[in-house]
Amino acid sequence: MDTIATNRLGLPNLGLGVGLRSKHYSHLMQNDPVVDWFEIISENYMNNFGYGRHVLSHIASIRPVVMHGVSMSVGSTDPLNLDYLKQLKQLADFVNPVWISDHLCWTGVANINTHDLLPLPLTVESLHHVANRVNQIQDILQRPLILENPSTYLEFESSTLHEWEFLSELVNRTGCGLLLDVNNVFVSGFNHGFDPEFYIRNIPHKSVVQIHVAGPTDCDTYLLDTHDQPVPTQVWKLYQLAQELTGGVSTLLEWDANIPEYPELVAEVQKAKEVLKGRLPNVPVYRTSAVDVVSNPVNHQMQATHE
Amino acid sequence: MSELTTLQKWLTSIIVRPGMLDDKIRLADEYYQLKNDKVIRPSLRLSAKQKIEIYSKGYILRLLECIEAEYPALNKLLGQNLFHTFVKAYLVQLPPNSPDLYNLGEAFPAFLKASQPQTTHSDTDVLMYNLPVDLAMFERCIAEVSRIEGLENRIKEGADNQMPYLFNTTAIYTSPCLKLLRLQFPLVDFVQSVYNDLEPEIPVTQDSFVCVCRKNYRINFHELEAWQWHFLNRLQNKPNYMAAVIDTATICSIPTDTIMADLILWIPVAISFGYVYLK
Repeated sequence: MDTIATNRLGLPNLGLGVGLRSKHYSHLMQNDPVVDWFEIISENYMNNFGYGRHVLSHIASIRPVVMHGVSMSVGSTDPLNLDYLKQLKQLADFVNPVWISDHLCWTGVANINTHDLLPLPLTVESLHHVANRVNQIQDILQRPLILENPSTYLEFESSTLHEWEFLSELVNRTGCGLLLDVNNVFVSGFNHGFDPEFYIRNIPHKSVVQIHVAGPTDCDTYLLDTHDQPVPTQVWKLYQLAQELTGGVSTLLEWDANIPEYPELVAEVQKAKEVLKGRLPNVPVYRTSAVDVVSNPVNHQMQATHE
Repeated sequence: MSELTTLQKWLTSIIVRPGMLDDKIRLADEYYQLKNDKVIRPSLRLSAKQKIEIYSKGYILRLLECIEAEYPALNKLLGQNLFHTFVKAYLVQLPPNSPDLYNLGEAFPAFLKASQPQTTHSDTDVLMYNLPVDLAMFERCIAEVSRIEGLENRIKEGADNQMPYLFNTTAIYTSPCLKLLRLQFPLVDFVQSVYNDLEPEIPVTQDSFVCVCRKNYRINFHELEAWQWHFLNRLQNKPNYMAAVIDTATICSIPTDTIMADLILWIPVAISFGYVYLK
């Protein structure tokens, strides 16, 4: 895919990328990565001076890298965690990422971190709160923050704004960028009964810097953002629409559990090229009746190389 | 307290509190003077409580998965049900407060130790209660060694084959990622078997001197002889080769000359595994 500079906050279209995961370290140290760029889970490399950082250093020397966090907790009413932001900045100094992203969510309050991406009540109060914090974070990081729409499983009665309205106003107030996760739009749309296409048509397209695609799980009464399956047709369709409306932005395949071998992962993200030519793969949403399905957006890596 | 703060505290308390979902929601509703069905919008498919349950259930499953990844040998020893029972109790007592999941399991060995009965009466008790604690300490140590700063950027390639330490012992330092453990069970084979997907044998009580280290991003853990362990321990606390030799000789009741002679043979091994390096 051509790498074309655009005016999305002055950030480029990096092409097709995948997440850097410990399962593929060995492969990536010995083979061409094939894809155009990589996204890392920032927290997996903060204060990590082991093999993971060594691999990251190698990857960053041959491909663009983007830092994607899960613990900034931009919506929490706890004070901003300045230690966390300092460490994030230190990692950015090491990686030199093309951009830094996190989620429109909160992960806990009262000094508890649930390690989940919890939904906000979409109110004017929340908007004011989040906008203030995004501005502070951008001042600290000295770069625009890119925020992702999360998958959500509940809505607050007090919400007065739709998520696309909230994000649009947040962009207006802060100049932040958007990471549009079309799978999350699909998941939340099913769970809350809104039209995902309407959502995508009503966000500020010029602020979209990146798109995530992933495979969710159908748990019968709700969809769960499991990142453990091939991307289903419905999500590819939303991807096609988003690329059309944005004029083409960086695409990343998220796969965090039940991770396939690297060539299979690359084949999955390459499907995006076919989608943009109008050829949609025929893939159903994975269904399960298992009760203990878990969405683990964190992709914790306790990787170790043992003798 | 703002409405946003109240809602966040209300939901967090439900997610992290132990017990049945209905009880957790009722207690949170009472404490924060909210009504869950007025806070959370129900849908045709799910009630407010069922929506909350997705988060409440996910919290435990996600963190269990993370601690399982850090303590595979302990999980094997205890069996999944008992292991999960301890982890759930741990999460209730110490809900995570760090943005870094690496810190999640940090206090688990101390939690297990504190959960032991104060007095033990038989060898069986010792085995039952102390073995999981030792194993947890060992596995946490491995996790830490995998991430802390090591020798990778400090030693020059090929330095292993040189033997200048014979002439300049003041240049010998312990690795920054060397961890020394004194355990009540020999656990190296047990842990290695679990990592290799083999059926491990339950060890019997025996003083065990273990070191865990990393070199070239490869983690090594070995059982050491007591004098080797004490020598590394002394050198780690105070980087003075001769002082470490003398202290080791005293602690182990071995003549200093013998320690020095044995070190001439063993130091190259210690360098090759990255326990020590030449500055």
